[in-house]
Amino acid sequence: MSENRLLLRWRRRRVPIFFVLPAVITLLAITVFPLIYELRLAFMSWELTTSEPARFVALGNFATILFHDSRFWSSLRVTLTLLLFGVSAEVAIGTGLALLLNRLRRSRTMLVSLFLIPVLIAPVVAGFQFRMIYHDQFGPLNYLIEMATGGRWRGFAWIADPKIALLAIVMTDIWQWTPFLMLIILAGLQSISLELYEAAEVDGASAGQTFGRITLPLLLPVIIIGILIRAMDSFKLFDIIYLVTGGGPGNVTETISFYTYLQGFKFFSLGYTAAMAFLQLVVITVIAQFFVNFQKRQAGRG
Amino acid sequence: MKVYRGAMLWLVLALVLATAAVAQAPPPLSVVKWDYPPPFKNVTINVVGDAGHNLKPYEFWKGDFEKVGITIQIIEVPFEGVYEKEKTEFVAGTGAFDVVTFYPAYIGDFAGNGYLEPLDKYMKKTPASAWDPNAADVLGPFWELYCKFDGKVYALPIDGDVLMLQFRKDLIENPQEKAAFKAKYGKELKAPETWQDWLDIGQFFTRKKGAKLAGQVLERDFYGSAEFAKRGFSFAWFLNRWAPFGDPYFDKDMKPQIASANAVKALQNMVDSLKNSPPDVLGYGYDELRDAFVKSTVAMVVQWTDVPKKGDDPSQSAIAGKIGVGRVPGWPIGGKVVHRSMMPVGRVVAVAADCRNKEAAYWVAKHISYDRSLEDVSTALTGLDPYRTTHFKNPQAYKMFPTEARAQDYLKGVEAAMADGYPEIFIPGAAQYEDSLDLHVNKALAGQESPKQALDAVAKEWDAITDKLGRAKQIELWRKALQAYSSLGLIK
Repeated sequence: MSENRLLLRWRRRRVPIFFVLPAVITLLAITVFPLIYELRLAFMSWELTTSEPARFVALGNFATILFHDSRFWSSLRVTLTLLLFGVSAEVAIGTGLALLLNRLRRSRTMLVSLFLIPVLIAPVVAGFQFRMIYHDQFGPLNYLIEMATGGRWRGFAWIADPKIALLAIVMTDIWQWTPFLMLIILAGLQSISLELYEAAEVDGASAGQTFGRITLPLLLPVIIIGILIRAMDSFKLFDIIYLVTGGGPGNVTETISFYTYLQGFKFFSLGYTAAMAFLQLVVITVIAQFFVNFQKRQAGRG
Repeated sequence: MKVYRGAMLWLVLALVLATAAVAQAPPPLSVVKWDYPPPFKNVTINVVGDAGHNLKPYEFWKGDFEKVGITIQIIEVPFEGVYEKEKTEFVAGTGAFDVVTFYPAYIGDFAGNGYLEPLDKYMKKTPASAWDPNAADVLGPFWELYCKFDGKVYALPIDGDVLMLQFRKDLIENPQEKAAFKAKYGKELKAPETWQDWLDIGQFFTRKKGAKLAGQVLERDFYGSAEFAKRGFSFAWFLNRWAPFGDPYFDKDMKPQIASANAVKALQNMVDSLKNSPPDVLGYGYDELRDAFVKSTVAMVVQWTDVPKKGDDPSQSAIAGKIGVGRVPGWPIGGKVVHRSMMPVGRVVAVAADCRNKEAAYWVAKHISYDRSLEDVSTALTGLDPYRTTHFKNPQAYKMFPTEARAQDYLKGVEAAMADGYPEIFIPGAAQYEDSLDLHVNKALAGQESPKQALDAVAKEWDAITDKLGRAKQIELWRKALQAYSSLGLIK
């Protein structure tokens, strides 16, 4: 083969690498390197509030978290409660809204745009907003409750009552993220072929049978993706907790991300924080794997 | 024509902005006598602090700095982010900051780890009118506990935060209410002297909508008292009740003293006081507690000293002219009532150890802390509070009060509160110790734990934190802190 042809072949194979190399290096620098550095930190004890250097403690941080830190477990419990009730409600309401919007023709675009407003609001703004809405004496929510009941009921101390503060947080989360699920479920609905519905109608299927035998099975992969995304987001819920309740009353709304923030940015226990972050990664991975396997089984049946 | 209109618009805008900038600075008061130092050679000083009105003094007095060749660059950080931002830069050794503003609870951490420049030698430079920050003028607890560490001066004060009793003077002095209180409790109705008085008066003034209060029918429920019961600073409202007993946070060997019988009594008092508070009191932070008082929902609060300044402004308050101030209640101990007022937050300024222009940075800090401090604490344009005798002896400077007599009353209350001042924990790990205390105090308030369970849990966690941070070093630093406590008579 001539030299020119060899050079040309080399260029065809190698030159694209140089074009993508900057992007790959950047990605490695901002994702893989910090991950590896953090994993290393997780095996160290490094308290920045002292002038002591970092020291290797092997699995010491993990052991303390798993066997001696009740606050880790209580914050994990709060997060999973939020995930279970919040995401379930978001899926149910989002699916209902998507089904309604799917029936509309002319006003659908405008309504979808309006419904999406909460998603566009920064969580920190939503936090401030709901802190005012939930105000016991001057907030609009209790005002409306008092009006609707003719003054017989004044509403709740939404963020001050330990029994319902977490519900208040869940409601805020539902308000903000239901439109997101509504949007992806609506997209899923619109991808279902109309011929299937026509065939079902010809066969005399009821609305319930159509929903149960056609719509839901075909929508399930989309719903599972939505649940997965929201489940991962639940572990990251921080802004609303920080602004609305500060983790209180007591620790009833202290989520795992809020506790991790305290360890990392208030206490500067860097090794401990890294270990907590990796444990959360494990939990999220297990949850994600569960849903991925479920989806594969469903796809296999289809 | 277009060009002319555009130019006119810019000119008008510039005039408006310039006028606004000039109009915003408080007028110089010429009470403190000070001099400029010898000029510096075009030095830029980076000042970091929590964003908002408390950094305004550097803009007010920009001209003073420019006269001596100093240009100020202000770096704002969020209120909650001060520690993490400054600590990160110190640890990384970036030299990003010259003058650092921080909350005094961090002084043990910052000074103990060598991030700050000791200021003693700069304070002694001559002439004194240029360099001396007049330490004797600063109220004792603030100077000894928050500006010094290990016997050296590391910071100068700029904001004297302290908690103070604030109450509805009109209700306390109402003849009908006085008679009814005396009939029910067998003692005179006056500003609460003890924490038992706090409960009794709180209970007395808690009334439902439709009941009478000082002869007026209530249009909504009214409550006797409220607390800062939200996670974050609820521990300080507990410490107001515990500190009078004279137990230190730790003994000299870092054994926690927080689970004593006195501490349980103090926390139980706080839990009991919630019965006289609005139903959402567990969500009360600074804003909510202030609003509950100035919007006439509660009869008395313990709050920071800036609240009465807003409370006397009719545009912000429904109770302007009706506010009384006094010492935070205490406990009868040894035949007299011992009072203590927590000094949570506060602000001090220091020079970073890796600052390249230490003399210039020191003069910036001294100028704000002393020379212009009366103008800064007496204006409504900042949230800075008094901390010097000079501040308390010049009521005419506080124009937000309708009369000088009102200002005088307010200042007497603040001065008395600061004389009772009790510090937060200020050794390394302060944030961890205080978070643990705050969490369990809050759990007790929320009914998740009894006061004894809560404080036992705190003691256990404090031991674990001390071990994690290095017990020997913590003991060494705490023993130095204990000397300051003892010198001020804060511990038995």
